[in-house]
Amino acid sequence: MPIVLVILLAPAAAALLLCLVPQHRPDWARRISVLATGIPLGLALWLVGHYDRAAGGYQYEVFVPWIRSLGIGFHLGVDGMSAVLVLLHALCSVCGVLISYAIKERVKEYYIFYLLLITGVFGVFTSLDLFFFYFFYEMAVIPMYPLIGIWGSDVKEKGVVRFSKEYAAMKLTIYLTVGAVIALLGLLWLYAGSGVNSFDVAALERHFRANPLDAQLQRAIFPLLVLGFGVIAPMWPFHSWSPIGHAAAPSAVSMLHAGVLMKLGSYAIIRLAVGLLPEGAHAWLPWVAGLCLMNIIYGGLVAMAQKDLKLIIGYSSSSHMGYVLLGIACLTPLGLNGAVFLMFAHGLMTALAFALVGHVYDETHTRYLPELGGLAKRLPFIATCGVIAAMASSGLPGFGNFVAELLIILGAWDRYPLQAVLAVLGVVITSVYMLRMVRGVFFGQANEALPHARDAATPFARLPYAILIGALLLVGCWPNPLVRLIDVSSRPFVERMRQPNGMQIAAPPSTRP
Amino acid sequence: MNLSSLNAVAVELVVGAWAVLLLSADLLQREARKHSLWAISGLGVLCAGAVLWWQQAWVGQHFGPMFVFDAFAAFFKGLFLLTALIVVLMTRVFTRLLPGNIGEFHLLIFSALLGMLVLASVTDLLLLFIGLELLTFSLYVMAAYLKTDKRSVEAGLKYLVLGSISSGFLVYGISLLYGAAGGTNFALVSRTFASGAVPPLAVAGMLLVMAGLGFKIAAVPFHLWVPDVYEGAPTPVVALLSVGSKMAGIVVLLRVLYGVFLPAQAVWGGVLAVLSAATMCYGNLAAIPQTNIKRLLGYSSIGHAGYLLMGLATATASGAQAVGFYLLAYLFSNLAVFFVVVLVGSLAGGDSLESYNGLSRRSPLLAATLFIGLLSLAGVPPLAGFSGKLLVLLAAVEGGRLWLAAIGAVNVAISLYYYLLIVRRMYLLPAASAPPIAADRLTRLVLFLLMAAIVGIGVFQEPFLQLIPSSRL
Repeated sequence: MPIVLVILLAPAAAALLLCLVPQHRPDWARRISVLATGIPLGLALWLVGHYDRAAGGYQYEVFVPWIRSLGIGFHLGVDGMSAVLVLLHALCSVCGVLISYAIKERVKEYYIFYLLLITGVFGVFTSLDLFFFYFFYEMAVIPMYPLIGIWGSDVKEKGVVRFSKEYAAMKLTIYLTVGAVIALLGLLWLYAGSGVNSFDVAALERHFRANPLDAQLQRAIFPLLVLGFGVIAPMWPFHSWSPIGHAAAPSAVSMLHAGVLMKLGSYAIIRLAVGLLPEGAHAWLPWVAGLCLMNIIYGGLVAMAQKDLKLIIGYSSSSHMGYVLLGIACLTPLGLNGAVFLMFAHGLMTALAFALVGHVYDETHTRYLPELGGLAKRLPFIATCGVIAAMASSGLPGFGNFVAELLIILGAWDRYPLQAVLAVLGVVITSVYMLRMVRGVFFGQANEALPHARDAATPFARLPYAILIGALLLVGCWPNPLVRLIDVSSRPFVERMRQPNGMQIAAPPSTRP
Repeated sequence: MNLSSLNAVAVELVVGAWAVLLLSADLLQREARKHSLWAISGLGVLCAGAVLWWQQAWVGQHFGPMFVFDAFAAFFKGLFLLTALIVVLMTRVFTRLLPGNIGEFHLLIFSALLGMLVLASVTDLLLLFIGLELLTFSLYVMAAYLKTDKRSVEAGLKYLVLGSISSGFLVYGISLLYGAAGGTNFALVSRTFASGAVPPLAVAGMLLVMAGLGFKIAAVPFHLWVPDVYEGAPTPVVALLSVGSKMAGIVVLLRVLYGVFLPAQAVWGGVLAVLSAATMCYGNLAAIPQTNIKRLLGYSSIGHAGYLLMGLATATASGAQAVGFYLLAYLFSNLAVFFVVVLVGSLAGGDSLESYNGLSRRSPLLAATLFIGLLSLAGVPPLAGFSGKLLVLLAAVEGGRLWLAAIGAVNVAISLYYYLLIVRRMYLLPAASAPPIAADRLTRLVLFLLMAAIVGIGVFQEPFLQLIPSSRL
């Protein structure tokens, strides 16, 4: 059986299976879920290891004609970029399922929705058909509503509810759906305009290489796709659903939400908007490069002002996703490599951070920064992980984030020097709020009202943290294999973008990294 | 006309005969045992279904000049029979019908079904009118069926008055067309439209016929009857109204627009596109503040009429196919939703949205069915409604009406909002009183089948798309 198909179907099948599990056996639900995410993780590792770098292109393809009259096919496959993201999602989902052991009520329903969410994300990363891309994309968004609404928590400040979880869930769902339908409109227009009667991404890429789409049309469709998918990316000024959604969601859902769901937007922009509409990309990406600066600087400054731990990380995520957008906007192999690599590294880092905050919240029942403090004595393991996460987030050498941000800033230097300089400033802002958070939670004056807090003591409880930190350190110290894997696909991708008559992109030295 | 042409009307004959059978069964059976009449009626629909299956061999056969049995008719007759079957199963659990007169109710379902079946096959404006009146007269009576309930009587009366006005429009339009064409047969009337300059008389007749049919499918500005009738009428009748009657209106519109008025598509395409935009926006926005689920579903059904009009407005074969698929998805999704509304209304009391608070605790199955049905109506993958919406939007984009597709796309998000408000009540809010709701075995089976159909159609679209004839009517 094809690997990619198994990766996609394992969580879906498990979700169906869970419907049959009796309500009073939550342990079965948990074990099935661990299995349903563990299998994809193993296969994703195998996939990344065995991707044929010499051949490049889409591999492990599955193709089943689905609606022939419209040219829709169930087409799965991965290239270097999506293989890395599949691995990221597999890592995050296993850790998320393990962290979800803290969920004690309506466990079965929780895992059904959680597995549907996981299926949707795998589907987006592996689909090579516009129809199924959208199909899985929307399928990943909707489970967020019950997941946040039922198992989430209100965002409180000084004991007063600032955002209720219902508000957060509804805002997130509606924002993402509006974005999705705008993108859908762009996709349908693209399909109708191409005139080849095919939803197949690979076929469209081939077709457009020989006879490019009319430049005017490209410039008209591109903003629809970037706006639509930019909402989930989350691009300023459409980001406001995201920190609130993070904050209200249960921690395992925040992990996936910030770790991978936001990456769907930037992945879609790379794969569909930039990949299929090069002329539109040339015309519009400078605007994206400008907007993403607002993400980086403004998002960072807002994060500094937050007092709820999850809101801090939520705003920091939207700030970091600005770097990803900047990397995409460069249209150089270097910048694109950096963007995909940052998606990977940031996904792991932010999943780690949300898992930690979730643990602190479960133990202390508060996320309000002034009410916390001195937890390092009670939670030595969690505190250590927290310091590691803060350092990774600040871009300390040795972690994946450093490599990625370096690549992006180097890549942006030729085309957007101003943005590159200001983006470096964003790194400083990140360290300010991350270090302030670590100090406020784990060090300083201990709050006497929190004596019951317990550490993650058992090896099983520490496992998800260990997986995430291990992966972060591994790619940080030895980024080469992963960067080269991304490079296999990103380099030809950018080469294709070069128009013989249009704008020339400054050719980067080909030996880095 | 020879005897073998009766093959074309086989289903109608069976349904008509079964109506007589039901009448005699109603007369002969003792009052106490009449609650089992649903079984006879359900069996009748199944028989008609079997006959329809057998009848497929005679696709393309005419019965006189007024009636044709083609692939298009066969597909929609199948949908009508499915609707009737599920509505019969709904009446089984709609306990408020039990005291008295249950026999006539089933009889009326059959006469409405007969009207719908005829409508799928009409090729003549007169037969069209007769079929439509047969359907709506049955529905007038059924809407007012709860004689002691003031709101039901009000619903029946409102539907009667406004429906009669719409019939007036229709008849007037038909008479104008008759004046312009010299006959009522589709072939004859379409010749008037095909020959160069269309006389204004005929255009006026066409617009009046469209207005009359607009009432049936509840399109803006002919939607005013919907909320009150939906709120007051017995729930199984509302289900029949919102699925059967709307589907019948669309079938007839397809017949006349694609079969008769096609050369004038520049006129009606634009009109329908504007009406479609208005209908979607009005239905979906007005649904948001509702507090009664039947009223809410009434407005939502107006919104869906807008999507159907969007497909019709394209005047292309792919548009017609999209409308057919949309109706298939709408049938299962909406009937699943109404089935739960019937059950909650009968077993838990009340149609206010408050009675849905905490439904997921009281009955996980009902909540799951409603969840899937509503999300399918909203157009969320992997459910049937998503594919329907996608096909309709695609047809609009291919037809060059990007603005209309944009309005339709935004309406997906608006409708998702109010559908999620119900989901919120079911899953997020605690129940006021929490006795579990117990559905019997047959009901559970039906709900499971409906859910399976919604997911199945949403994932495997092609086999169902192939059922819908895409060629010119």
